[in-house]
Amino acid sequence: MHPILADARKLLWYVLAWLLAGVGIAALLRLTEQAEWTGALEFALPICLVWSFVALSSYYVCRSLPYSQRRWPVALGLFGGASLLSALAWLGLGEAWDSLGRLVSHDRPLVAMTSAGWVMYFAAGFALYLLSLLAHDVLVAFETVQAAARREAESRVLARDAELQMLRTQINPHFLFNSLNSISALTGFDPAAAREMTVDLAQFFRRTLALAERERISLGEEVLLSEHFLAIEKRRFGAKLKAELRVSPAAADCLLPPMTLQPLLENAIKHGIRQVDGGGTIAVDALVRDGWLHISVVNPVAPDAAPAGGHGVGLKNIRERLAVLYGARARIAWQRSETQFSIEINLPAETKETAA
Amino acid sequence: MTSPTPLRALIVDDEDLARHLIREYLGGHADIEIIGECDNGLDAVRQIGALSPDLVFLDIQMPRLTGLEVLELTGRRAGVIFTTAYDEHAIKAFELHAVDYLLKPFSKVRFDDALARARTLHAPTVAGVAHAPAGGASAQAPALDALVARRTAPLERILIRDREQVHVIAIDQVECIEAQGDYLAIHAGGKCHLKPQRISEIEEQLDATRFLRVHRSFIISLAYLQAIERPGPDRHAARLRSGKRVPISRSGYEKLRELV
Repeated sequence: MHPILADARKLLWYVLAWLLAGVGIAALLRLTEQAEWTGALEFALPICLVWSFVALSSYYVCRSLPYSQRRWPVALGLFGGASLLSALAWLGLGEAWDSLGRLVSHDRPLVAMTSAGWVMYFAAGFALYLLSLLAHDVLVAFETVQAAARREAESRVLARDAELQMLRTQINPHFLFNSLNSISALTGFDPAAAREMTVDLAQFFRRTLALAERERISLGEEVLLSEHFLAIEKRRFGAKLKAELRVSPAAADCLLPPMTLQPLLENAIKHGIRQVDGGGTIAVDALVRDGWLHISVVNPVAPDAAPAGGHGVGLKNIRERLAVLYGARARIAWQRSETQFSIEINLPAETKETAA
Repeated sequence: MTSPTPLRALIVDDEDLARHLIREYLGGHADIEIIGECDNGLDAVRQIGALSPDLVFLDIQMPRLTGLEVLELTGRRAGVIFTTAYDEHAIKAFELHAVDYLLKPFSKVRFDDALARARTLHAPTVAGVAHAPAGGASAQAPALDALVARRTAPLERILIRDREQVHVIAIDQVECIEAQGDYLAIHAGGKCHLKPQRISEIEEQLDATRFLRVHRSFIISLAYLQAIERPGPDRHAARLRSGKRVPISRSGYEKLRELV
């Protein structure tokens, strides 16, 4: 809706401004001796009142030509044409009102304008509509700037939320403290392994912190991070945990949001491998086909484990993050059978070269 | 043997290294004998039943069954030292009921401290009846009772121990629960399981938006409710999806009308 029509106070001031313009026109008519004061006012004020509403249409004319897509010849043509058309209508209204006045009062017309007077009146109509267009243009521009600022603030809040969310998932306290406990145990009988695990843990956190700041990273970088993660988990769970990562060189170059693969592995261990007696193998496959990056993660699950229990929230998070970045072009789907859970992600295959 | 009977300890943790650490810390205590290790909750239930150890080192977050579920199933209420890396709910509950626990990673000093405390709690049984079955008169018992009975989150599954087997029933499978003497008859998936528990206790643990106590001895799942019948004046009964009919008391009817 028109911002002036939506607000009674604004509308009042707006109409008053137009009536003032009406008084101005009446004064002009009086000065050029086209009419007496009463006739001039009776003529100009009702017309301006009607026209104040007609002129509101210029808001939509301005909105039809947003600044960002504006070419000046087109804008000039549109503004000039619209003003000309409206001035013609304004002239028609003036003449009609004048004749009506003649009908009502029988003898005396409201004004006794010469052709020069009508030309002047026409010019005033043209100028008033143009003025209205320009004023509205400023209004629209102002609105656009305000909306952009609001959108930016909103997206900043969203981005910060996402970042916090990510930090929380990265620094999974359960993972951290259990790893430290494992290191503490290793120190007693295998100091070299304890040292290795410390380094893996440090590398994992260092990489997550570095990568989390970036919007997208290559799958290769994510795989490197995931390998540190798996090295730590393998120490914790021993022979129970096996992993096979098959990432084609083309897939390794593809970009994706950071921390897409690692949380899937974490889920696969927490809800899958850990619950299965004797453990199992997590299989990760990534390849590029027909311009799409396909990633799949498959892991065994215990038959009596809760259906997708716990998987839900993490997967929904990833789905939302992918939707923000790729819209409808990203797909993530998962399914579980009696003994197996599988996730498949499809993204447009973009590398650093194609994205730049 | 020079010292009195050693304390027999069971270590329960699904991580090999975590068990290794406890073994190492226990190495310095000659009065403790490690009689077994378990790497999951189900095994722990079996071993606690079979060996009735004096002391159990019990991890909270384990596959199959959590540490608290192990306590529930075994009825063990004494001689437990909890270990956990991070579990907000469990830690809150421990603090609330003043139950001692070890936060991983823990130092040798902290471990010895917890062990010393467990020894004093165990002292009466050592001096008196040796190897009293778990759950004997111990200062720990009321606290652990409260811990097991009043878990913070609503129940997601019901565990039933049938000799050597443990049945896990997902809560959305449960149609209705009936009190039968000291037992609960849990009707789920066309079967009926018996569990020694009071109906008021399980009522507290269930999600009040999904289950309703419609009668002194009946709780029904609202998801399985099909119709409310009137077999006579001032008498109501619930017909469930399986066709089973459950009596509804007057106050149960009031509650049901508010909900449905």
